[in-house]
Amino acid sequence: MSGVAELSREIAALEAQAVAYGGRYEFLSDFALPDDCKIAVNFTCDFDAMLLRRVLNETPMQFARGEFGGRVGIWRLLELFDSHDIKATIFTPGRICELYPKAVRAAAEGGHEVADHMWEHRVPKEPGLERDHIAKSTAALTALTGKRPVGSRSRHNVTALTEAGYIYSSHGSAHHLPHYISDADGANALLNIPFHFAIDDAMFFSFAWQGSGNTAQRITEPGRIEEMWWAAFEQQYRQQYPGGGYLNICLHPFVSGRALRIDMLDRLITRMKSKPGVWFSTCEDVARHCLDAFPPTVDGEA
Amino acid sequence: MPWKSDYTISDEVGMADDAVRWPDGKRCCLSVTVDLSLAANPDGLRASDLTNSIAVFGLNEGTEQLRALLNRFGIKATVTVPAAMANILGGTIETMIADGHEIAAAGLKHEDVSELSRDEEEARIGLATEILAKSIGHPPAGWFSLPRQNDDFSVGTVSPHTIDLLIDAGYTYFGNGLADDIPHYWVSDFETRRSLLALPYYYHFDDQFFLMFPRAGTGLEHPDTLFANWNAELKAQYKRGRHFNMTLHPYAIGWCNRLKLLEDFFAGLAEFPGLWNPTGAEAAAYWRETYPAETHLNLEPSIWEDHPGSLS
Repeated sequence: MSGVAELSREIAALEAQAVAYGGRYEFLSDFALPDDCKIAVNFTCDFDAMLLRRVLNETPMQFARGEFGGRVGIWRLLELFDSHDIKATIFTPGRICELYPKAVRAAAEGGHEVADHMWEHRVPKEPGLERDHIAKSTAALTALTGKRPVGSRSRHNVTALTEAGYIYSSHGSAHHLPHYISDADGANALLNIPFHFAIDDAMFFSFAWQGSGNTAQRITEPGRIEEMWWAAFEQQYRQQYPGGGYLNICLHPFVSGRALRIDMLDRLITRMKSKPGVWFSTCEDVARHCLDAFPPTVDGEA
Repeated sequence: MPWKSDYTISDEVGMADDAVRWPDGKRCCLSVTVDLSLAANPDGLRASDLTNSIAVFGLNEGTEQLRALLNRFGIKATVTVPAAMANILGGTIETMIADGHEIAAAGLKHEDVSELSRDEEEARIGLATEILAKSIGHPPAGWFSLPRQNDDFSVGTVSPHTIDLLIDAGYTYFGNGLADDIPHYWVSDFETRRSLLALPYYYHFDDQFFLMFPRAGTGLEHPDTLFANWNAELKAQYKRGRHFNMTLHPYAIGWCNRLKLLEDFFAGLAEFPGLWNPTGAEAAAYWRETYPAETHLNLEPSIWEDHPGSLS
């Protein structure tokens, strides 16, 4: 049986860890969107096609399911965004530049932001190899688009990303609004553009997502998700925050590029556009606005 | 890495909507797959799959109800049969052929072949083809590797050799491709451009994932979701002028209120004039003639490079 002193030490250690981890976050209490906008909406595409399935060493048919995103889905999404004059952020693994160079180039030429989504959709545990993957992905995207990526949707550590010149990440949901996260030493504050799995198409339409078993499948119809995401938009639009709200919609071309979901997204965007004060922007646009108007104040970064 | 093997099976960019044409000016292709397999597990048919009340319903009333509905609405289907069920389904196969439906292969036992040696898989394809040829009077034109309820994935399973072996065995199409939502070529060898036409399949339009999935008694029942998916995809694909495929299992869709939803869906087809409803073999023949691989499969050399610390 543990003694009271030992249990107290355990609780104190837990408290210390929670406080230290929470201290790495800096929230923007005076956040405000430009031009009195009521909400910023970022449509983001995780253009990973079959790469995750390849990392997980799945089967040829699973790869073919992902291939739909590269040869069909991405083109439909770009067409959809263009039809609404919306610039999106295409989070693209470096390897995709070798598999689907035409689509990546078309996205960049269409004015969309092409950002990093890991080299081959994994983050190596070895720090040296992680940096190597960041460098490879950055080089591949730069070579193909002519513009260096400044954002990453990944679990890459903030130090490696900031050292590689990235100005924001888009992974994790510690706050509805953009915020900063530092490394364990309180340095290298990196802006995070929030992403939440509740606004991610794969959670609703992708069988065996992240190894989920058959009894845990979430395969639904698009109308239900349209209403769910519309409710998310309205909740943020209704000025929950004085300076405006924020919504990041995560789409995978192999999922949302299917015809029935393109129709759903078309309806959703049309509904959003019926409201005044909606800023459809890229993640980079939001990041640069935040960095300019609300720079981090954590140690050494003010 | 030669081409993009282990990543992609077809060319880099799919065919645009405005390039797709169907026979006689039809606006959209509607294909119906009826899977008669009762295999529930990756190892294929087991005695327990055939010896339960749902199986008996599927083999008898479920199939009859579905067949009657197809006939009432004049819809042609591609009926997939594992060779191991050919004798069990003897009468049904004859009736389906008489109704104008196509019989296609669903493997020897509708088993997962991904771990088999090439020789073993070749032997099984050969035996399945022989059994089915005897049953239907000629070798089947199409081969399907549809998913089973207890698979880890919802897409079906093939081995790295399957497509090559199917070409050798004389098959003219593969029935459940996922890399496009129109027919597309599955390349088995980049250097020689050897390929097999794949017809589109997507699990969101396959009844088995919505009707008491993954198993009766504890599974989830979402016929309304299935119905919504069918309608949403048909509407979207009709607008684009592409292809809509639905996959049906008599043991599942043939029951009661589910059958009524299918009836409602078929009745709603009247709102889509200009649908072309071929069997798999008819769709494949049209596609190969109109969009032959020699002129419409655009393969480019890979720019892929292998790196230390990266997957090849």
